[in-house]
Amino acid sequence: MVVNTPRLKEMYEDMVTARYYEERLQEEYLEGKQPAFDISAGPIPGELHLAAGQEASGAGVCQHLRDDDTVTAPHRPHHIAIAKGVDLKPMTAEIFGRESGLGKGKGGHMHLFDPDVNFACSGIIAEGCPPAVGAGLAAKKRNADSVAVAFLGEGAIDQGAFLESLNLAAVQNLPVVFVIEDNDWAISMPKERITDVQVGSDRAGGFELPGVRVDQDDAVAIYDAAREAIGRARDRNGPTLIEVQVHRRMGHFMGDPQTYRSEADQEAAEERDSIERLAGDLRADGVADETLEEIRTAAHERVDEAIEWAKDQPEPDPADAHEDVFVNPPAGVTETEPDFELTGGDD
Amino acid sequence: MAQQEPQRTIERELTMSRAMVEAIGHEMRENDDVFYMGEDVADYGGIFDSTEGLLDEFGYDRIMDVPISETAYLGAAVGAAQSGMRPIAELMFVDFFGVAMDQIYNQMAKNTYMSGGSVNVPMVLTAAVGGTYNDAAQHSQTLYGTFAHLPGMKVVVPSTAYDAKGLMHNAIRDDDPVVYMFHKRLMGIGWMPAPTGPKTPVPEDDYTIPFGSADVKREGSDVTIVTLGLHVHRALEAAESLAEDGISAEVIDLRTLVPLDTETVVDSVRTTGSLVVVDEDYRSFGVTGEIVASVADEALDDLDAVERVALPDVPIPYARPMEDEVIPDTDDIETAVQELE
Amino acid sequence: MSDTTDRVAVTADGEWTADVDEEEGIVVNWFASEGASVSEGDTLCEIQVEKVSIDILAPTDGTIAEIARREDDEFTIGDTLAWIESG
Repeated sequence: MVVNTPRLKEMYEDMVTARYYEERLQEEYLEGKQPAFDISAGPIPGELHLAAGQEASGAGVCQHLRDDDTVTAPHRPHHIAIAKGVDLKPMTAEIFGRESGLGKGKGGHMHLFDPDVNFACSGIIAEGCPPAVGAGLAAKKRNADSVAVAFLGEGAIDQGAFLESLNLAAVQNLPVVFVIEDNDWAISMPKERITDVQVGSDRAGGFELPGVRVDQDDAVAIYDAAREAIGRARDRNGPTLIEVQVHRRMGHFMGDPQTYRSEADQEAAEERDSIERLAGDLRADGVADETLEEIRTAAHERVDEAIEWAKDQPEPDPADAHEDVFVNPPAGVTETEPDFELTGGDD
Repeated sequence: MAQQEPQRTIERELTMSRAMVEAIGHEMRENDDVFYMGEDVADYGGIFDSTEGLLDEFGYDRIMDVPISETAYLGAAVGAAQSGMRPIAELMFVDFFGVAMDQIYNQMAKNTYMSGGSVNVPMVLTAAVGGTYNDAAQHSQTLYGTFAHLPGMKVVVPSTAYDAKGLMHNAIRDDDPVVYMFHKRLMGIGWMPAPTGPKTPVPEDDYTIPFGSADVKREGSDVTIVTLGLHVHRALEAAESLAEDGISAEVIDLRTLVPLDTETVVDSVRTTGSLVVVDEDYRSFGVTGEIVASVADEALDDLDAVERVALPDVPIPYARPMEDEVIPDTDDIETAVQELE
Repeated sequence: MSDTTDRVAVTADGEWTADVDEEEGIVVNWFASEGASVSEGDTLCEIQVEKVSIDILAPTDGTIAEIARREDDEFTIGDTLAWIESG
């Protein structure tokens, strides 16, 4: 199947945007944290999990998704958020903990919610799987043709939440696609050490749903596999489990010295650059280098603009910490007690 | 909102389970987005009668049996709620929360806040709670303190059929997540007879009871007894007995833990000066400590005497003499009041 | 006792008797008291035979004149549980 060039260009744009975004965030993050690494110092405090090297999965899958399709993502979410269409400025403001962030500064980088495009990410392994199943359940109940996609890492395939979600999606025949991003490393633990199932998509057989493995860091191959799976879901033919090979170019989180990872492994990862590969596909389709350059430049400008804008945004008022626990008043939908006269009853 | 006009006298009584079911059925009729999911809720009608009779009217689609897979189906309820539906998801026993607590306290309870209010989770999490029938440590807990302690969820504990229906209507209509904890012994199940008290007249029309509004179930002037759930009825029994000894006890039913109505309790203690808190949850770090501390915060000068009556910090034992020992009964409440001096 | 011509019996009987082997049961819950007005079809009480729970409905409109079997009382299938003064 040939992916038409406009779509390839869109994927390329998503991917270069994501790559540059992670690189810029890395710079911003490390500011104020050198020479001594204090995790809570600097403009981006706390943990930061960057997805440089994983861009293909977000781009290839989200090409098939509409705004009303739901995506849940794990703690390494930015490439997926960008591909899903999350607005870059409020997302960046949230990462910088500003008042005009997606969550008013209350969520941070692991808890980005954008209801306009039905994107959410969370910080507990596999936690996004059940809510994605729930979004699929809602679609089924309403006879809508929207779908839900849950992204997770290969380190998540042993978590109960993922396995239970496969079963529930299958038995209810729900429009859900599960996408495992296999970057070989669960922080410092290689796949071989933590499971006998080296091909995560093989788990699908145990749950009576189709499993597909995409072995290369290849955005087009991912696009193809996703098209089929998402199409299957939209046609009400049930869930699919996809596993895609990606690589992690940076540490698990910023500050991770990656001493557990051999240099050879890191270099090999860098050679599998999916962006370069897609660029090759584009050139093969007759796209000029200047065009690629234009896309890259525009993407970089968009990212720079978002980051500068975010850094300019005011910090939240400390008192805001008490707001937004609930959307309704604590008392619920009424403040008044009804006035009935009740007789009898057990006394 | 103006006070509702007094209705004609309500005579028809219901058990607490029938009152809950009446509210759920009404909301499901009014709104296609409401559905109930849980283990054995379809043909069985809920192990503790929480959905009895609803399958016939609404079918397997809306009274949904789920696999024994709490993380998946409670998390799915969160996801469905965030998509705009209004699911009611049931924990067969509140003690099973452990297998799914992440979806409950990290998603259901926190997504509204972490999203700065842009996302909300209009679901109800129902759960059967309580002991007194020898189901031992893993099937007899109430865990009121655990759920009330963690921010982001409203927590409701009805003690009568009338309260149960009004609180259920509010819970389903509320756009926030509500944990609705119903005591097994109060439901009016044939094989677990209820004490006198939870079966009350219940209006046929729908009505809502606000959260955060404690109810003075019995007025008194000598001592304030604050409690919830099953122990509302044990406290009322104790109050009857104490009256014979010339002690006038006020019994306050908290009805909700989050939000908590401390004002009603403080007002009462300002009159009586004596506070007894009765809880069917573990003593330490829970409801009894919370009520005493709240009153001390606001009315320390009026507080002359305090007693906490709760389960000791032990897993709930199986054998009858031991279970009777750890779960407070009417005599324990009476003794606590008498020991106040 | 008043004239019985307007009194309709509420009996522990119905199609459900075909599903049980036992002859005896117990009254679990009453939902209306003596003096209460009821409509035909209202659930008056819940009885239990073996492990089966059955709702007993009002056979007619009227007022509950007398409750013959109270909560926790036993009955035999066919017994009168209550009398309704019809009208």
